[in-house]
Amino acid sequence: MSALSIVAEGPGKYVNWGVIQISVANLTIIGVMILLFILALVVPFPTHDEQDDQEGHSR
Amino acid sequence: MTTRAGELSPDEKKDPKNWTNRLRGRLEGLVPPGQALPDRQPVYVASWIYVFGVLTLTSLVVVIASGCVLSLGGVEWWHVTSLGHYTNSVHLWSVELTFGFMVIHLWGKFWMAAWRGKRAMTWMSGVLLFAISIGTSFTGFLSQSNFDSQWIAGQAKDGLNSVGIGAFFNVLNPGQMLLYHVVILPLVVGLLTLIHIILVRRHGVVPPLDADLEG
Repeated sequence: MSALSIVAEGPGKYVNWGVIQISVANLTIIGVMILLFILALVVPFPTHDEQDDQEGHSR
Repeated sequence: MTTRAGELSPDEKKDPKNWTNRLRGRLEGLVPPGQALPDRQPVYVASWIYVFGVLTLTSLVVVIASGCVLSLGGVEWWHVTSLGHYTNSVHLWSVELTFGFMVIHLWGKFWMAAWRGKRAMTWMSGVLLFAISIGTSFTGFLSQSNFDSQWIAGQAKDGLNSVGIGAFFNVLNPGQMLLYHVVILPLVVGLLTLIHIILVRRHGVVPPLDADLEG
Protein backbone atom coordinates (compact mmCIF):
# COMPACT_ATOMS: atom_id res chain seq x y z
CA MET A 1 0.00 0.00 0.00
CA SER A 2 1.48 3.34 -1.01
CA ALA A 3 1.44 6.37 1.28
CA LEU A 4 -0.95 8.15 -1.11
CA SER A 5 -3.59 5.45 -0.76
CA ILE A 6 -4.15 6.54 2.86
CA VAL A 7 -5.84 9.71 1.64
CA ALA A 8 -6.84 8.85 -1.93
CA GLU A 9 -8.17 5.30 -2.20
CA GLY A 10 -9.57 2.36 -0.29
CA PRO A 11 -11.92 2.23 2.68
CA GLY A 12 -9.57 4.25 4.88
CA LYS A 13 -8.27 3.66 8.37
CA TYR A 14 -10.09 4.94 11.42
CA VAL A 15 -9.05 5.79 14.95
CA ASN A 16 -11.56 4.88 17.64
CA TRP A 17 -11.33 6.66 20.99
CA GLY A 18 -14.49 6.24 23.08
CA VAL A 19 -17.36 7.93 21.26
CA ILE A 20 -14.90 9.63 18.89
CA GLN A 21 -14.26 7.97 15.54
CA ILE A 22 -12.11 9.80 13.02
CA SER A 23 -10.26 8.78 9.86
CA VAL A 24 -6.48 8.83 9.91
CA ALA A 25 -6.58 11.25 6.93
CA ASN A 26 -8.77 13.76 8.76
CA LEU A 27 -6.76 13.39 11.98
CA THR A 28 -3.55 14.02 10.01
CA ILE A 29 -5.00 17.17 8.42
CA ILE A 30 -6.13 18.51 11.82
CA GLY A 31 -2.65 17.76 13.20
CA VAL A 32 -0.99 19.64 10.32
CA MET A 33 -3.35 22.60 10.85
CA ILE A 34 -2.53 22.76 14.58
CA LEU A 35 1.19 22.56 13.72
CA LEU A 36 0.78 25.41 11.19
CA PHE A 37 -1.05 27.48 13.82
CA ILE A 38 1.73 26.99 16.37
CA LEU A 39 4.42 27.74 13.77
CA ALA A 40 2.58 30.92 12.76
CA LEU A 41 2.79 32.09 16.37
CA VAL A 42 6.44 31.25 17.06
CA VAL A 43 8.26 31.62 13.73
CA PRO A 44 9.54 35.23 13.38
CA PHE A 45 8.10 37.22 10.48
CA PRO A 46 10.74 38.65 8.12
CA THR A 47 10.95 42.44 8.27
CA HIS A 48 12.96 44.61 5.91
CA ASP A 49 13.37 47.97 7.60
CA GLU A 50 14.22 48.58 11.25
CA GLN A 51 13.21 52.22 10.88
CA ASP A 52 9.65 51.10 10.19
CA ASP A 53 9.60 49.22 13.50
CA GLN A 54 10.70 52.33 15.36
CA GLU A 55 7.87 54.31 13.78
CA GLY A 56 5.36 51.66 14.79
CA HIS A 57 4.64 50.59 11.25
CA SER A 58 5.73 47.80 9.00
CA ARG A 59 5.61 47.26 5.26
CA MET B 1 -25.97 72.45 -14.04
CA THR B 2 -22.94 70.76 -15.46
CA THR B 3 -19.88 72.94 -15.88
CA ARG B 4 -18.11 70.58 -18.22
CA ALA B 5 -18.74 67.12 -19.59
CA GLY B 6 -18.44 64.65 -16.71
CA GLU B 7 -17.95 67.35 -14.05
CA LEU B 8 -20.66 68.48 -11.63
CA SER B 9 -21.14 71.97 -10.22
CA PRO B 10 -20.57 72.34 -6.43
CA ASP B 11 -24.34 72.68 -5.86
CA GLU B 12 -25.03 69.40 -7.63
CA LYS B 13 -22.35 67.61 -5.60
CA LYS B 14 -24.11 68.55 -2.35
CA ASP B 15 -27.70 67.96 -3.46
CA PRO B 16 -29.01 65.40 -0.91
CA LYS B 17 -32.07 64.59 -3.05
CA ASN B 18 -29.85 63.21 -5.77
CA TRP B 19 -29.50 59.46 -5.02
CA THR B 20 -26.28 59.27 -7.06
CA ASN B 21 -24.73 61.86 -4.73
CA ARG B 22 -25.90 59.99 -1.67
CA LEU B 23 -24.57 56.69 -3.03
CA ARG B 24 -21.23 58.30 -3.94
CA GLY B 25 -20.97 59.75 -0.44
CA ARG B 26 -21.65 56.36 1.09
CA LEU B 27 -19.11 54.59 -1.13
CA GLU B 28 -16.46 57.24 -0.38
CA GLY B 29 -17.11 56.86 3.34
CA LEU B 30 -16.91 53.05 3.43
CA VAL B 31 -13.27 53.08 4.52
CA PRO B 32 -11.11 55.93 5.85
CA PRO B 33 -9.02 57.73 3.20
CA GLY B 34 -5.98 55.68 2.18
CA GLN B 35 -7.17 52.53 3.97
CA ALA B 36 -8.70 50.71 1.01
CA LEU B 37 -5.33 49.31 -0.10
CA PRO B 38 -2.78 50.43 2.52
CA ASP B 39 0.92 49.76 1.97
CA ARG B 40 1.82 50.12 5.65
CA GLN B 41 0.44 48.35 8.71
CA PRO B 42 0.97 48.64 12.49
CA VAL B 43 4.13 46.82 13.60
CA TYR B 44 2.19 44.07 15.41
CA VAL B 45 0.83 42.88 12.04
CA ALA B 46 4.35 41.58 11.24
CA SER B 47 3.40 38.06 12.37
CA TRP B 48 2.59 34.95 10.34
CA ILE B 49 -0.75 34.60 12.14
CA TYR B 50 -1.98 37.72 10.33
CA VAL B 51 -1.23 36.10 6.96
CA PHE B 52 -3.98 33.49 7.07
CA GLY B 53 -6.83 35.86 6.22
CA VAL B 54 -5.25 36.85 2.92
CA LEU B 55 -4.23 33.22 2.27
CA THR B 56 -7.93 32.31 2.60
CA LEU B 57 -8.82 35.07 0.17
CA THR B 58 -6.21 34.07 -2.44
CA SER B 59 -7.19 30.39 -2.33
CA LEU B 60 -10.84 31.47 -2.67
CA VAL B 61 -9.87 33.29 -5.87
CA VAL B 62 -8.42 29.99 -7.20
CA VAL B 63 -11.63 28.20 -6.15
CA ILE B 64 -13.78 30.66 -8.11
CA ALA B 65 -11.48 30.70 -11.16
CA SER B 66 -11.27 26.89 -11.38
CA GLY B 67 -15.05 26.68 -10.82
CA CYS B 68 -15.58 29.03 -13.79
CA VAL B 69 -13.39 26.79 -15.96
CA LEU B 70 -15.35 23.70 -14.81
CA SER B 71 -18.65 25.38 -15.71
CA LEU B 72 -17.43 25.82 -19.31
CA GLY B 73 -17.25 22.06 -19.88
CA GLY B 74 -20.54 20.97 -18.32
CA VAL B 75 -21.43 18.57 -15.52
CA GLU B 76 -19.68 15.47 -16.92
CA TRP B 77 -16.59 17.11 -18.39
CA TRP B 78 -14.39 16.60 -15.34
CA HIS B 79 -14.97 12.83 -15.48
CA VAL B 80 -14.10 12.20 -19.11
CA THR B 81 -11.14 14.45 -20.03
CA SER B 82 -7.68 14.79 -18.51
CA LEU B 83 -7.94 18.62 -18.49
CA GLY B 84 -11.33 18.39 -16.81
CA HIS B 85 -9.97 15.95 -14.26
CA TYR B 86 -7.03 18.26 -13.54
CA THR B 87 -9.29 21.32 -13.21
CA ASN B 88 -11.58 19.36 -10.90
CA SER B 89 -8.58 18.50 -8.71
CA VAL B 90 -7.46 22.16 -8.65
CA HIS B 91 -10.99 23.09 -7.58
CA LEU B 92 -11.05 20.45 -4.84
CA TRP B 93 -7.63 21.18 -3.39
CA SER B 94 -8.09 24.96 -3.48
CA VAL B 95 -11.28 24.41 -1.49
CA GLU B 96 -9.33 22.26 0.99
CA LEU B 97 -6.74 25.02 1.34
CA THR B 98 -9.44 27.71 1.67
CA PHE B 99 -11.05 25.88 4.57
CA GLY B 100 -7.72 25.00 6.18
CA PHE B 101 -6.53 28.61 6.06
CA MET B 102 -9.97 29.89 7.10
CA VAL B 103 -10.01 27.69 10.22
CA ILE B 104 -6.47 28.73 11.23
CA HIS B 105 -7.55 32.37 10.61
CA LEU B 106 -10.57 31.69 12.87
CA TRP B 107 -8.38 30.18 15.62
CA GLY B 108 -6.03 33.17 15.51
CA LYS B 109 -8.86 35.71 15.63
CA PHE B 110 -10.70 33.82 18.38
CA TRP B 111 -7.67 33.67 20.69
CA MET B 112 -6.92 37.37 20.16
CA ALA B 113 -10.61 38.26 20.77
CA ALA B 114 -10.83 39.98 17.41
CA TRP B 115 -14.30 41.41 18.14
CA ARG B 116 -12.71 44.07 20.40
CA GLY B 117 -12.73 47.76 19.44
CA LYS B 118 -16.12 47.91 17.67
CA ARG B 119 -15.19 44.95 15.47
CA ALA B 120 -18.24 42.84 16.38
CA MET B 121 -19.69 43.13 12.87
CA THR B 122 -16.35 42.07 11.38
CA TRP B 123 -16.37 38.98 13.60
CA MET B 124 -20.03 38.16 12.89
CA SER B 125 -19.64 38.59 9.13
CA GLY B 126 -16.72 36.15 9.31
CA VAL B 127 -18.80 33.64 11.29
CA LEU B 128 -21.63 33.93 8.75
CA LEU B 129 -19.15 33.59 5.89
CA PHE B 130 -17.74 30.42 7.46
CA ALA B 131 -21.25 28.91 7.78
CA ILE B 132 -22.29 29.82 4.22
CA SER B 133 -18.98 28.48 2.91
CA ILE B 134 -19.73 25.11 4.51
CA GLY B 135 -23.13 25.11 2.75
CA THR B 136 -21.44 26.01 -0.53
CA SER B 137 -18.95 23.16 -0.26
CA PHE B 138 -21.80 20.81 0.70
CA THR B 139 -23.67 21.63 -2.52
CA GLY B 140 -20.36 21.07 -4.33
CA PHE B 141 -20.16 17.53 -2.95
CA LEU B 142 -23.74 17.04 -4.20
CA SER B 143 -22.75 18.28 -7.68
CA GLN B 144 -19.97 15.78 -8.38
CA SER B 145 -22.33 13.76 -10.63
CA ASN B 146 -21.06 10.41 -9.34
CA PHE B 147 -22.04 7.72 -6.81
CA ASP B 148 -20.38 9.72 -4.01
CA SER B 149 -22.75 12.67 -4.56
CA GLN B 150 -25.73 10.28 -4.68
CA TRP B 151 -24.67 8.65 -1.41
CA ILE B 152 -24.18 12.04 0.30
CA ALA B 153 -27.61 13.21 -0.91
CA GLY B 154 -29.21 10.01 0.37
CA GLN B 155 -27.56 10.48 3.77
CA ALA B 156 -28.46 14.19 4.02
CA LYS B 157 -32.10 14.14 2.92
CA ASP B 158 -33.60 12.71 6.11
CA GLY B 159 -31.92 15.21 8.39
CA LEU B 160 -32.84 18.19 6.21
CA ASN B 161 -36.41 16.94 5.65
CA SER B 162 -36.92 16.45 9.39
CA VAL B 163 -36.42 20.20 9.96
CA GLY B 164 -38.52 21.25 6.95
CA ILE B 165 -35.67 22.48 4.76
CA GLY B 166 -36.31 19.79 2.13
CA ALA B 167 -39.44 21.62 0.95
CA PHE B 168 -37.32 24.22 -0.83
CA PHE B 169 -33.80 22.75 -0.65
CA ASN B 170 -34.01 19.24 -2.12
CA VAL B 171 -30.65 17.49 -1.96
CA LEU B 172 -32.00 14.71 -4.20
CA ASN B 173 -32.40 17.26 -7.02
CA PRO B 174 -28.90 17.53 -8.57
CA GLY B 175 -29.96 20.37 -10.91
CA GLN B 176 -31.13 22.51 -8.00
CA MET B 177 -28.00 21.71 -5.97
CA LEU B 178 -25.74 22.57 -8.92
CA LEU B 179 -27.44 25.94 -9.42
CA TYR B 180 -27.21 26.69 -5.70
CA HIS B 181 -23.52 25.79 -5.93
CA VAL B 182 -22.61 27.84 -9.00
CA VAL B 183 -24.94 30.86 -8.75
CA ILE B 184 -26.71 31.67 -5.48
CA LEU B 185 -24.17 30.57 -2.88
CA PRO B 186 -21.06 31.96 -4.67
CA LEU B 187 -22.85 35.31 -4.95
CA VAL B 188 -23.59 35.27 -1.21
CA VAL B 189 -20.03 34.18 -0.37
CA GLY B 190 -18.62 36.90 -2.67
CA LEU B 191 -20.83 39.59 -1.15
CA LEU B 192 -20.05 38.52 2.43
CA THR B 193 -16.32 38.40 1.62
CA LEU B 194 -16.52 41.95 0.26
CA ILE B 195 -18.40 43.15 3.39
CA HIS B 196 -15.88 41.35 5.64
CA ILE B 197 -12.89 42.95 3.89
CA ILE B 198 -14.49 46.42 3.92
CA LEU B 199 -15.14 46.05 7.67
CA VAL B 200 -11.52 44.96 8.26
CA ARG B 201 -10.26 47.98 6.29
CA ARG B 202 -12.78 50.25 8.02
CA HIS B 203 -11.85 49.33 11.60
CA GLY B 204 -8.25 48.24 11.00
CA VAL B 205 -6.52 44.99 11.95
CA VAL B 206 -7.18 44.01 15.56
CA PRO B 207 -4.14 44.55 17.84
CA PRO B 208 -2.84 41.73 20.06
CA LEU B 209 -4.36 41.56 23.57
CA ASP B 210 -1.27 42.88 25.33
CA ALA B 211 -0.96 45.80 22.86
CA ASP B 212 -4.59 46.69 23.60
CA LEU B 213 -3.98 46.66 27.36
CA GLU B 214 -0.94 48.92 26.99
CA GLY B 215 -2.82 51.29 24.72
